[in-house]
Amino acid sequence: MPRHDVRVYDDIFEMMPSEENPTPLVRVRNSLPDESEYRLYAKLEWLNPLGSVKDRAAWQMVQDLEARGEIGNGRGIVEPTSGNTGFSMAALASARGHHMKAVVPNKVPAEKKILLKMAGAELDVVNDELCPAPGLGDGSINLAKTHAKAQRDRYVMPNQYENVQNMEAHVRTTGPEIWRQTEGKITHFFTSLGTCGTVSGTSKYLKSKNPDIRVIAVQPSEGHDVPGVRNVSQLEVTKLFDPDLIDEILEIDFELAYVRAVELLQKDGLRAGPSSGLIFEGARQILQREGQGAGVGVMIFCDDVFKYTSNLVKHLPELGQGLEP
Amino acid sequence: MSDYAHPEVLVTTDWVKENLGKPGIALIEVDVDTKAYDAGHVPGAVGFNWETQLNDSVKRDIISKDDFQSLLRESGVQNDDTVILYGDNNNWFAAFAYWIFKIYGHDDVRLMNGGRQKWLDEDDKDLTVDAPSVSPSNYTVSGGRDDLRALLPDVLAASKDGSHNLVDVRSPDEFTGKVIAPPGMSETAQRGGHVPGARNVPWATAVAEDGTFKSRDELEAIYTKGQNLDRGKPTIAYCRIGERSSHTWFVLTYLLGYDNVRNYDGSWTEYGNLIAAPIEKG
Repeated sequence: MPRHDVRVYDDIFEMMPSEENPTPLVRVRNSLPDESEYRLYAKLEWLNPLGSVKDRAAWQMVQDLEARGEIGNGRGIVEPTSGNTGFSMAALASARGHHMKAVVPNKVPAEKKILLKMAGAELDVVNDELCPAPGLGDGSINLAKTHAKAQRDRYVMPNQYENVQNMEAHVRTTGPEIWRQTEGKITHFFTSLGTCGTVSGTSKYLKSKNPDIRVIAVQPSEGHDVPGVRNVSQLEVTKLFDPDLIDEILEIDFELAYVRAVELLQKDGLRAGPSSGLIFEGARQILQREGQGAGVGVMIFCDDVFKYTSNLVKHLPELGQGLEP
Repeated sequence: MSDYAHPEVLVTTDWVKENLGKPGIALIEVDVDTKAYDAGHVPGAVGFNWETQLNDSVKRDIISKDDFQSLLRESGVQNDDTVILYGDNNNWFAAFAYWIFKIYGHDDVRLMNGGRQKWLDEDDKDLTVDAPSVSPSNYTVSGGRDDLRALLPDVLAASKDGSHNLVDVRSPDEFTGKVIAPPGMSETAQRGGHVPGARNVPWATAVAEDGTFKSRDELEAIYTKGQNLDRGKPTIAYCRIGERSSHTWFVLTYLLGYDNVRNYDGSWTEYGNLIAAPIEKG
């Protein structure tokens, strides 16, 4: 049995988040305009064993594939991934003795590609810049599907965009953790949209406990380059998007994602990545609009900033200055 | 598909599945993404690389008659085979290959409607990484159709005297000159805009949401009625390097039955680099 009280574990799998072993909730104070009755918490998903919220979905999908006998005996995984899911999945699969091929869009930062290789994944990099055309779908999803279809004995594609286990992970873990950590007092849940597993699964659980909890999905403005999140216009790839589980979709100028990420590190000591910055800005705007009466908000801080330094320099050029003698 | 002018030039994915491995049928995949074939192809299909196998490797030109003959011999294609072409991006380069097959006089050539994507999306269709077993053939190019191809002098003359339908199948931004080429494309030109007198009918307007060709009525509404293309005139289609315009050439020639349609494969990467050639913008 895992010993969460002293944090001694037999293997990485015992460390996976659960109601008994939740990722921390930390109150964000300093970056907010005023002191208020409202308590706004960040859920620090980078403290998952492999560093992001995606550990939850990846572990759930790997366990499901093992349970159904879909992987093993030389048959591994192929998955289209922009980074975090692939990294978690590759590391978890490798630790379980499975191989993995990650199909990655070329625009993904080099840091993430290198991490995938370090985790044991074989990379297949796709140029996504082709002229848009009817019914063609996403290049990396197509290539992963091709591998899964052409080499059925070598690969199965979990497909995080369609796999209900991605959502189920959050029904089983993220939702119950937050409910317990806030003692059932949560009033607002803030997250972003990607595969929509996090928003759909967590919302499903929380609303089953209290239908009045407001679920706000924060999305970057169109043309954004915030890794790992999608604008609603980009959601045709996912089958896990359920508008009935979302009360409001709030669009944020994507440049603010970078500004807030650095602010969170400098004022709160939170090493938040750009998608966390985006969600924080969304929460700020909701609080400004609705006032700061009693309430408890929980924001998903998907991963930390370490993988995104070059991305931040692009948007905050002053970070790139004074680096030479 | 039956109401097209020449319905016999299209086959469905189901037809291809039913006819896999049958003698007399040569399946050939031609993609924009030259790595796609290796990742997985229809069982038994040969893959052609449009950059290295369908174009001359030294001068800018389509593959020569002799090289085409050698390519088909190595690929095991016989003169009387039914050639089925398919590829990615709604059959862009499959249509380009189709055009070359016709230039070199192959009789029975067909496109798999919906292309690679439709096959990939259908659960009952298999892909493989196995190389097809090929026995070299004695393929002989005998005839040829130079009249399917427009060269620069034809285009300059057509633009000047208004004797042709000139169809620019690129995106509106390329047509107006806002961009010279789509993002990420390495083949480009010195100037943006279009050939004076050309109409802009982006190639993708011929394709339905599922990647197959639109119906004859829809296509007539787009080209003949919508753009007022004159069936009494010859037509020249062009794009950037001649592959998207092969797609429109195929639609106008076989699905709508226009007479005398030519593909200008020099396209904007030739025209947009000319000194002193007239250009329209906007």
